[in-house]
Amino acid sequence: MISGINISKQYLGIKVLNDVSIHCQSGQICGLLGANGAGKTTLFKILLGLVTPDSGNIIVEAASKKRIGGIIEKPALYEYLSALDNLRIFASIQQLPTNRTTLEKYLLRVGLPLNRKDPVANFSMGMKQRLGIAIALLNNPSCLILDEPFTGLDPMGVVSLRSLIRQLTQEFQLAVFLSSHILEDLNQLCSRLYVLQNGKLIRQGNTQAIMLECTQQYIITAKNLRQSNMLHQWEHQLQGDTLKIHIQPTQVPDFLSALALEKIEITSCIPQPDLLLLFEGGKE
Amino acid sequence: MKSLLFAECFKLFRQSKTYYAVASLLIIEGIILISAYFEGTNIINILLDNLRKTFYLKGNLLNGNLLQYLVLNTLWFHLPLIIMIVVSGMLTAEYKDKTVQTIFLQPVRKWKWILSKYIIAVGFTAFIVGLLFITSYWLCNVFFGKGDLVVYLDGLSFFSAKDASNRIQWAFLAGTISMVFFAVSSLTIAVILKDVTKTWIVCALFLIICNVLLKIDLGTDWLNQFSFFKLNDTWQYFFQYDIPYSRIWLNWLISLFYIITIASVGIIIFQKRDIG
Repeated sequence: MISGINISKQYLGIKVLNDVSIHCQSGQICGLLGANGAGKTTLFKILLGLVTPDSGNIIVEAASKKRIGGIIEKPALYEYLSALDNLRIFASIQQLPTNRTTLEKYLLRVGLPLNRKDPVANFSMGMKQRLGIAIALLNNPSCLILDEPFTGLDPMGVVSLRSLIRQLTQEFQLAVFLSSHILEDLNQLCSRLYVLQNGKLIRQGNTQAIMLECTQQYIITAKNLRQSNMLHQWEHQLQGDTLKIHIQPTQVPDFLSALALEKIEITSCIPQPDLLLLFEGGKE
Repeated sequence: MKSLLFAECFKLFRQSKTYYAVASLLIIEGIILISAYFEGTNIINILLDNLRKTFYLKGNLLNGNLLQYLVLNTLWFHLPLIIMIVVSGMLTAEYKDKTVQTIFLQPVRKWKWILSKYIIAVGFTAFIVGLLFITSYWLCNVFFGKGDLVVYLDGLSFFSAKDASNRIQWAFLAGTISMVFFAVSSLTIAVILKDVTKTWIVCALFLIICNVLLKIDLGTDWLNQFSFFKLNDTWQYFFQYDIPYSRIWLNWLISLFYIITIASVGIIIFQKRDIG
């Protein structure tokens, strides 16, 4: 379990974090959402002990000597060393076993191949992220903090990393905090969401509930949308097989049923959260 | 601490830039030896021109000992410069690649980690100076043979081959202490500045200032004795006819004081600062 309580930080008189409190339970994945410059990275650096807050407390329940593992912005590795040597360095400085079998177990844990002996400079971003996570998990921390873990990954890499994070959270009962400004990533992984704006927490709660709260538009794709008669009753934009419609979340089931009754072949219905509402609380 | 030292040593010798630095020092040494061979002939001719009119000089004065002495004379800018680049790079590269963040996401004490860098910096410097001593000793003696050494310091001094070899070894040891001073200073500059380029510029400036001030009379005995840049000349005392051992030991003690103080300042600053 990890909690940050009433954390504030300012740089050169500018408040980058203002009385922020966040919390994550073991086995839970919590998301931190915010536009660039909202204070996400600073908050994570404070939780990880890299930056001292001006005020506030961090409480971590952990049995291990290393309480929190993490990656800030992108995995910072010794690019001239192999994956195994990177692990060896980071394991040795905390007096962990550095024999080959143990190190290979760490690599396998995050799905990295054992046959790569070349420097990690040659690795893809996805592989570097996995190695970064392997290093973060050395010494069995009870919390994991991942700052923008999906940046620079291809779609396959994103899917694969999401699944790894889910699996590790369950397997080790980790309290995981991850940040992103991509809603899809957080929506799929996080049970709880915190939204930061200019260093202040403007929303917190169940991810689905927050997403619904901020969703007033949906994109529906269907083959024969133009045959629908009931569409005219709604504010909408139709382009080919794609319909953009302003509708309240509670109205969605009835709307879709009505379309189905008109024999419209719906293939997808994707909520489109209002970014202004979500990121800035609806302020212009 | 042992594991931190191992990690630092491992990283240092797994980086290609370390080998580039060693190779460039050896290339410079080779160039110095070749040019010293030709310059050495001229220097000896100038030095001994008058003496030859009065005395009969026997044997080859352009020998390994003289060349090693000339190598020693020319090491005082590029050797500390390259050492400072490598040593400061041990820290600035960690800032640039942000591996310093990954390090401190592990349960590692800041002061222990930076202290291990200072210790490896000292070890690396000693290794480099030792390597230069061995290679220059070997190259000079194999290609130019042993012989008596003639040097000009306030006046001409002649040393027998064995005595000269002994003095050169001590001079290299004195040189090691000076180089350690520069290495430790460069690491402290890196702690303060963090940035690679800024650190290089300030290190080069620091070295130039030290070399300029070394040659300037500061007016008072106190400043001439205790200023750190004046201590870098200690190796020359081994080529005075009567070696002033008490002065040398005092200089070494003062140098040690400067080295420990500068390293302590770096450790304190590093300990107090946030990593992020």
